[in-house]
Amino acid sequence: MRHIKKSFGAVQALRGVDLVLHKNEVLGLVGDNAAGKSTLMKVLSGAYVPDEGSIMIEGEPAAFSSPMDARRQGIEMVYQDYALANNLDVASNVFLGREAVRTAIGPISIMDKRFMEQESKALLNRLKIDIASVRLKVERLSGGQRQAVAIARATAFDAKVIIMDEPTAALSVAAIAKVLDLVSKLKDQGASIIIISHRLEDIYQVSDRLIVLRQGRKVTDTVVEGDIHQFRERVVAYMVGARNDFAEGGIS
Amino acid sequence: MTETTSGELPVVRSTSRLIPGNIREYGMYIALFAIMAVFAFTTDGIFISSRNIVNLINQTGYIAVLAVGMTLVIVIRHIDLSVGYLSGFLGAIAAISMTSWNYPVYAAIPLVLGLGVLAGLLTGFLVAEMKIPAFVATLAGWLGYRGALQLSTRATGTIIIPDETFNAIGNGFVPDISHASFLPDMHLLTLILGLVGIGIFVLTEALGRRALRDYPSERSPLARWILKLVLISTLVAAVTWILAGYQGLSWTAVVVLIVMLVYQFITSRTVLGRHIYAVGGNPEAAELSGISVKRITYAVFGSMGLLSALSGILFAARLRSATTTAGQLFELDAIAAAFVGGVSAAGGVGKVAGSLIGAFVMTSLSSGMNLMGLDISYQYIVRASVLALAVIFDVATRNRE
Repeated sequence: MRHIKKSFGAVQALRGVDLVLHKNEVLGLVGDNAAGKSTLMKVLSGAYVPDEGSIMIEGEPAAFSSPMDARRQGIEMVYQDYALANNLDVASNVFLGREAVRTAIGPISIMDKRFMEQESKALLNRLKIDIASVRLKVERLSGGQRQAVAIARATAFDAKVIIMDEPTAALSVAAIAKVLDLVSKLKDQGASIIIISHRLEDIYQVSDRLIVLRQGRKVTDTVVEGDIHQFRERVVAYMVGARNDFAEGGIS
Repeated sequence: MTETTSGELPVVRSTSRLIPGNIREYGMYIALFAIMAVFAFTTDGIFISSRNIVNLINQTGYIAVLAVGMTLVIVIRHIDLSVGYLSGFLGAIAAISMTSWNYPVYAAIPLVLGLGVLAGLLTGFLVAEMKIPAFVATLAGWLGYRGALQLSTRATGTIIIPDETFNAIGNGFVPDISHASFLPDMHLLTLILGLVGIGIFVLTEALGRRALRDYPSERSPLARWILKLVLISTLVAAVTWILAGYQGLSWTAVVVLIVMLVYQFITSRTVLGRHIYAVGGNPEAAELSGISVKRITYAVFGSMGLLSALSGILFAARLRSATTTAGQLFELDAIAAAFVGGVSAAGGVGKVAGSLIGAFVMTSLSSGMNLMGLDISYQYIVRASVLALAVIFDVATRNRE
């Protein structure tokens, strides 16, 4: 993403942000509230059209007008509230909006339920997600399991990039460990992941690289290294504005 | 909801399995069974006489088709108050087209069904494009179609429909195949259809259960499954037997059955059906998944319009005429039937078959109480209690999950 700008009325949410995501990399994205991280990710996932700037995928320019557009080009978003239909079962949610069709008679398409259930089951097994049956309704799953379903859905169609918005915010400690484990597993399977989080220890645990946003600008782009305490101190300094790698005049 | 790690899930599930997750569904059939049994007893069998059962089915028909459409409207978190007078108005159009414009019946029916779809799409437009709350948009429809009905019947008052083919939809019976030497007094075709129906039902249930082999946790206990099979088969067999002893299957019953089967198929097997439930469960998530909530809203209100027209045809045919008050309060009966049938006001939950049974529960109550000679005021109170009880039961069983 190059030089992305986005304003809402008089508010400049993004003032020219560059973001590069390498293949098979986990990128952490942090920043205080209103730093612009969600806006940036909504631009990348097609929910917002940027005022300025461009997006390139594997060197090819790309433009999305809707989340569906972005999904078709391999960019999947896992929303903070999971965006699942709780009244439907796991398999239906995995294939929501992309149902496998057996036969189509005019506008009436008959679903291939068996295929979707088998595929969902295989997907959950591959990601070692522990859910008894793909026929369970989402409303009967725990928070961690719902997050796992949301992530599984994002990976079901060979996504190139998976964006996760606060995937651990609403979860118990045990469930967080499982979700982070899942992120590592996805990386092992070759996915590129952007993870937004307030929990720096989670970012530290799974990310290769970290970007901090502050007031619509990128203030650092750094490799995740060192021990957790140093890391946390450094990141907080960027978040509150004490440090800035990209400031004109360069207070570094 | 409390957090459970996935390791605990089997425990959680096995306890919740003690209370069947779909008790609502069974509850409905049991309730209908109980109501029929009680009325059979209190009316000395008149309630389950052939003539009364046929009347009951033909009376329920025009509400049942509305309830089927209303199910989907409520599933996508809307409501449609205009369907009653729309049904009445379109019934009047059907009558006028045959009497004044000299349309043959096979032209009048498609015309009216087409107008119904248009009216439904208009409601869909107001709700989906203009973002008017469905309650308000369809309240306007309620007023408008009421006015239109009065206008169209003002000159003549009640319009008598002379066309016997048309009237047969509300009063006629499916002709029998040649009389066999055995069971000479029975309507043979009805018996055969009933048997075939039970056969298909048992077969699909058995296949469905076999398909669940890999999901033992999703299987209901064998005993309860057999109970359900026996209960429904007995109900169908009893109704078939009663009908066959009279004049057989009425055309209204055929229409209702076809509507039910088509909607059952659409909601459970097609992409459209799944998207309707997804929109009801979580509209934002549906939109993010590339489902057009607008398109679904149009489709659901369009279908509601179509079924309103069908309801109008059934009612006009039954009365052999279009009256100035046709369709009055149909919308509330249909909404009540849907709620009694297990549709949730929160959206996303409810089956068309449930609403159909709900419609039969409500008309059975009226019919039975009428036969008992119960004061109409008490009838309203009894029906109110049943509606309230059904919804309380619904909320209670849902909270337990």
